Amino acid sequence: MVVQQAVLGARNLSKAFFGNPVLRDVSIDLVPGRIHALLGENGAGKSTLINLLSGALAPDSGQILVDGQPVAALSPREAHRLGVAVVQQELSLAPHLSIAENIGLGAYDRRGGLIDYGGLAVAAKEIGGELGLVESPDTPVGRLPLGRRQIVEIAKALFIKPRVLIFDEPTSSLAAPDVVMLMGLVRRLRDQGVAILYISHRLNEIIDFCDYVTVLKDGAITADRPMAGLDPNGLVRLMVGRDPQNLFPPYASHATEDLVLETRNFRTAAAHGVDFELRRGEILGIGGLVGHGQEDFMTGLYGAVAADADQFRVLADGGAARTTPFANVAEANAMGVAYVPADRRKEGLLLPHSIDFNLLLPLFARHGAQHRRRADESAITERLAQRLNIRGDRSRPVQALSGGNQQKVAVSKWLPLEPSVLLLNDPTRGVDVETKREIYIALRAMAAEGKAVVLLTTDTPELVHLCDRVIVFHKGWVAAALAHAEASEEAIVAAAMGVRAAPTLQGAPH
Amino acid sequence: MRGEGTRLYWRIQRRRNEGLGALFLVLALFATIYAILFPGILSVGAMAKFVQGWFPTAMVAAAETIVMLTGGIDLSVGPMVSLGSVVAASTMQGPLGISGGVLAVLALGAVVGAIVGWFVAVNRYPAIIVTLALSFVLRGVALLILPRPGGFVPPSLSDFLAGSRPTAAVLLVLLVILWKLYQATPLGTGLIAAGDNAEGAYRSGVGVTIARMCAYLASGVLQALTGLYVAAQTGSGDPIIGEPMTLAAIAAAVLGGVGFLGGRGAMRGALAGSLLMSILINVMFFMDLPLVAQYVVQGLIIVGTVALPLIRASWRRGL
Repeated sequence: MVVQQAVLGARNLSKAFFGNPVLRDVSIDLVPGRIHALLGENGAGKSTLINLLSGALAPDSGQILVDGQPVAALSPREAHRLGVAVVQQELSLAPHLSIAENIGLGAYDRRGGLIDYGGLAVAAKEIGGELGLVESPDTPVGRLPLGRRQIVEIAKALFIKPRVLIFDEPTSSLAAPDVVMLMGLVRRLRDQGVAILYISHRLNEIIDFCDYVTVLKDGAITADRPMAGLDPNGLVRLMVGRDPQNLFPPYASHATEDLVLETRNFRTAAAHGVDFELRRGEILGIGGLVGHGQEDFMTGLYGAVAADADQFRVLADGGAARTTPFANVAEANAMGVAYVPADRRKEGLLLPHSIDFNLLLPLFARHGAQHRRRADESAITERLAQRLNIRGDRSRPVQALSGGNQQKVAVSKWLPLEPSVLLLNDPTRGVDVETKREIYIALRAMAAEGKAVVLLTTDTPELVHLCDRVIVFHKGWVAAALAHAEASEEAIVAAAMGVRAAPTLQGAPH
Repeated sequence: MRGEGTRLYWRIQRRRNEGLGALFLVLALFATIYAILFPGILSVGAMAKFVQGWFPTAMVAAAETIVMLTGGIDLSVGPMVSLGSVVAASTMQGPLGISGGVLAVLALGAVVGAIVGWFVAVNRYPAIIVTLALSFVLRGVALLILPRPGGFVPPSLSDFLAGSRPTAAVLLVLLVILWKLYQATPLGTGLIAAGDNAEGAYRSGVGVTIARMCAYLASGVLQALTGLYVAAQTGSGDPIIGEPMTLAAIAAAVLGGVGFLGGRGAMRGALAGSLLMSILINVMFFMDLPLVAQYVVQGLIIVGTVALPLIRASWRRGL
């Protein structure tokens, strides 16, 4: 077989954000007439690679080649001109412009300096016909539901008659018939000689559909090979295969039999029918791909988003059966439930204020209008700083700390309230390895003290090595509930991707 | 094919009236009240005078709208109008006469617009801070050039722009045509896309920086020309005459459905908003309402018209 020259390629790309390497030495070749899958867990660097290939970001080092020639300083406009189109996951549409204007955006044909609306009308009809876009082209895009906007996004990519077409999770918000339609379309484009890069978390979809696969893990390539001979489990192994590097403290369970929190049929806008039990001293992990309801579940537990349940019992409440979850965050706090948000910079901390002030913030709510007692306060912050190993002058603003140390402040500020339940949303995101280890040890210590820790994380090894139990969300339902012994990375990722229905799955539609 | 393009264009334009129904209705109501209370307004001469009174507000509303559509805001509109009037009145005595004055005003608008654009569009400074700071600078410069009202505007120019002829109406029509043409260029559409979804527009190959830069340039020129017009109206330059116009411009734009976050709204809404405010002021003036009460009524009507769609939306949600 003659290997055709890559129409778009990359050589040894590296990219770091704020000193945090996201891509390391990545090379990839997109060949005409081939559907190329790009796989990897959340945070593996897929989106960064796409942004580099389409000119939205510039690499720190490495080269991008078009038809074998290196391109200096690729911009989105230049990439368009060279025939590279991206169907973005975060849609690139302007909601207040019409469908037709969005389809041509950035690539309008002109007639006497003005936009050629005639050409736009024809293109909208042609491309729209192919994609089943029945809405009138004068409709403002903001009026369309998400799935239909996705179709407009695809139409927009087709408008420039691309030689390279990159799909970033195009099917995540599409209805089933549209998925079938899209696959037919992509195959036709391949047969016409378009080079296609296809990103999806639906492994079954990818295996039937793609000719070639590149797998990214932690910013490096772990596989670059034809798809033939791979099955879903093989792909999952390629995505998670890593050594834990002694990152985790030795596993030891402190779980007891005492329930601290119990719900039946707990539900929010994005999470459905969750039966949930939490015991003193246990670390319960929550896994799943981003956006499958687990964040909504956790913030719902905390009373931060609207939630409902058939039964909701809290030990701190005397174990009284109540039907409604916490109505608001203050009630959750009063019942000994604390929450550490994922976006610590926006939600977890007051960045311009001092470390001390941030550490004391939850206490202020308890003390109400009483005068602050500086001596007590400094004793408290001193103890917290020691416990979580926060070094240096604590009158510095929190924003002066590294991400890891910021996170330590965001976690430890809750400890003076003596919470019985600690909800953590991705506490090690963007945190360096050493601080990760400190946080793991701290979580284990809190469990040993009898607190119940709920750890929502996108980092699968944390679920495997740290948690006594793991529940995995898929499409808003709990797809699997795994004991520590069953919770392998393969099992967790497979459940998150809906590869096989786990036996514990009840009542979930499939 | 050409016919199809024209049809598509006008259908898109018609869809942009969505959400402006309440404003158009309120506007028609007050226009009718005005015409019933003061039937004299329906003569050509009175109409020309009315449009002259409305014209500066319409111009600054348009200038503010262009910037707000990109997701920015301009708090220096008023001082810019003052400075425009001062520059006009102090350059028309020069050897180049009226044309020299017009050129000076155009240059002022372009230079100030370019400065704001350099900060906001190129270097991503927050527009609200840049233009707030600029408003102090412009105010000071205007007072330095002309500490008290004065200067000279040739009576012929005053007569042409603000006499008995409907020049202002013609200029407004010209403004609308130019804006429509600009909106039909890729750059004009890019302006809305940049305000609507800057990241997405950039990734689509839209020149977001250029689109924003052009918006600030156009806005600056419109503001400076408003100053020229005001100078012609009063026959002299006045270093503080524009002061109330900053808020009037923002009020008209907001009344017209232009959003603070960019992308939302249309020029026609802002023009209708400024017209409504102009009519209100006239009606209250003729009804001999005290000035203070006029402010209160204006404020209430702005809040009411803006709140109307929100109230309707919350009814629909069944709250």
